[in-house]
Amino acid sequence: MIFETQHLTKKFGGLTATSDVSLQIEKGELVSIIGPNGAGKTTLFNLLTGHIKPDEGKVYFQGREITGLPPHAISRMGIGRSFQRLNIFPRLTTFENVQVAVFSAQGKSHQLFTSAKKMVRKETETILESVGLLGKKDTKGGLLAHGDQKRLELGIALSVHPSLLLLDEPTQGMSPQETVETTVLIQKLVKERGLTLIFVEHDMSVVFGISDNIRVLHQGKVIFSGKPEEVRRNEEVQRIYLGEENK
Amino acid sequence: MILVSLVLLIVPFVFSRSMVSLINEMLIMALAGCALNLMLGYGGMVSFGPAGLYAVGAYATAILLTRYGAPFIVAVLAAPVVAAIVGAIVGWFCVRRSAVYFALLTLAFAQIIWTIIFEWYDFTNGDNGIVSIPIPEVLYVGSNIYYFSLAIVAVCIFVLWRIVNSPFGATLQAIRENPMRTEFIAVPVRRYQLAAFVISSFFLGIAGSLFCVFAGSVFPDYAHWVKSTDMLVVCLLGGIYNFAGPIVGSGVYILISKVISKNTTYWMFFLGIIIVFLVLYMRNGMVGFAAEKIFRFRNKLGAGNGEGKS
Ligand SMILES: Nc1ncnc2c1ncn2[C@@H]1O[C@H](COP(=O)(O)OP(=O)(O)O)[C@@H](O)[C@H]1O
Ligand SMILES: [Mg+2]
Repeated sequence: MIFETQHLTKKFGGLTATSDVSLQIEKGELVSIIGPNGAGKTTLFNLLTGHIKPDEGKVYFQGREITGLPPHAISRMGIGRSFQRLNIFPRLTTFENVQVAVFSAQGKSHQLFTSAKKMVRKETETILESVGLLGKKDTKGGLLAHGDQKRLELGIALSVHPSLLLLDEPTQGMSPQETVETTVLIQKLVKERGLTLIFVEHDMSVVFGISDNIRVLHQGKVIFSGKPEEVRRNEEVQRIYLGEENK
Repeated sequence: MILVSLVLLIVPFVFSRSMVSLINEMLIMALAGCALNLMLGYGGMVSFGPAGLYAVGAYATAILLTRYGAPFIVAVLAAPVVAAIVGAIVGWFCVRRSAVYFALLTLAFAQIIWTIIFEWYDFTNGDNGIVSIPIPEVLYVGSNIYYFSLAIVAVCIFVLWRIVNSPFGATLQAIRENPMRTEFIAVPVRRYQLAAFVISSFFLGIAGSLFCVFAGSVFPDYAHWVKSTDMLVVCLLGGIYNFAGPIVGSGVYILISKVISKNTTYWMFFLGIIIVFLVLYMRNGMVGFAAEKIFRFRNKLGAGNGEGKS
């Protein structure tokens, strides 16, 4: 088991955003987390990556407890993440966006007097190539098309060599065509690098297409956990979530 | 670049003494502006208190020379060290908050420094300032003081330029763009912000010390928030997203403030209007504005290669 949470609970005032969540994720698993808006998916991610501290419960990664560690330390241990909103550095070029992450991965970020320009070029370009952005390396991140920005954010997340990748709505706002392309890309990268993936997604074709397992979150609770076929067949899930989507 | 250095080298031969003094002031302000801009433009940390650290540098040199009779070199070299230490303490608190609260904290600390200087008569001579500081005679021979400033400012600005183009500088810009994202590429963001604060303080301390040597006296005004806004305006005027921004901003700001204040007592009024104009019509400062125009022009000629060079 690569990743585990035990009885995670987080309250915002009177609202229980995460309620007694216990997850167990195996190495190499592709897990999706689904649930209606406000179900607590992003909050769960924030608890896993140290951005907010749980009121109760524990988080383990590769057998070590990581509850309460700061985000940069959790990231350093090998967890990569993309956020639901802005994930890139808009005024830096595409090349620089990835380069700055490569600096961190190689422990070079603190170098004060060396010239950054030509450093780690090969590594950076390899990553840009793997996400299909090498041709746009001199464009400012903020000027890329939405789909390209989403790919860039994958590139940044991969630069720090994570073994577990958390993606919060990676295809949000994409056209159906871009969604398919991105899904294929994610699947390819995860396979190539032997990653474990946990992702939040609303597009059911993506969810059913690539997940090994699905967790359904509702009002902060995991109400169902199983394989895609099982989720499809389950009536409560149908009623709470899938039914709602079809309205 | 080479042209600029040549012009600066021959300045004392072509201009009057008062003009040389004015350029000397510009040089020191350019260094202060570049030091502040490491935080402001590169780190996205809006500090309202650079003058506090600048004054620490100026007073460190002044007090070491007058009170302890320290050798001149020691008094000058100590200034950035003392400013960096004070900067580390102040910065440690400030980086705990972001955006407007960070700005407010820097302002508060600068005011604390100002009050200490203003009230601690036994040590700082309070509002009388410290005058007739024993600066080595040799600096007053010919234009030596100008060359002294020029040499130190040139070296410091070169070092700052190296820093902003280093991996550290790149990481600092990433923090400016998106601190949350940067934290999750395993960068301890606060520690980097603190480092930027300390480096900035170090160079502000040098600028303060240079001004002490240049003027031969120091006053609590150096720490006043008005001085901080001078530095901020210098950066904004020139443009915070260009390394040369504060250098150009310093020249223009000091020139117009002197020219206007010579001819009218309402110079703050005119300065205000100029700032409003610049902010509304040249949003990236003068250097940013010029760079954009040149870029457009080159594109029009078809010579531009269409890629946004920064
Ligand atoms: N920092 C916060 N403070 C207060 N309430 C929050 C905070 N973050 C999230 N919430 C609330 O917690 C609930 C879950 O939000 P979120 O995790 O963003 O849901 P999802 O990502 O599943 O749409 C929502 O009701 C939201 O308003
Ligand atoms: Mg969400």
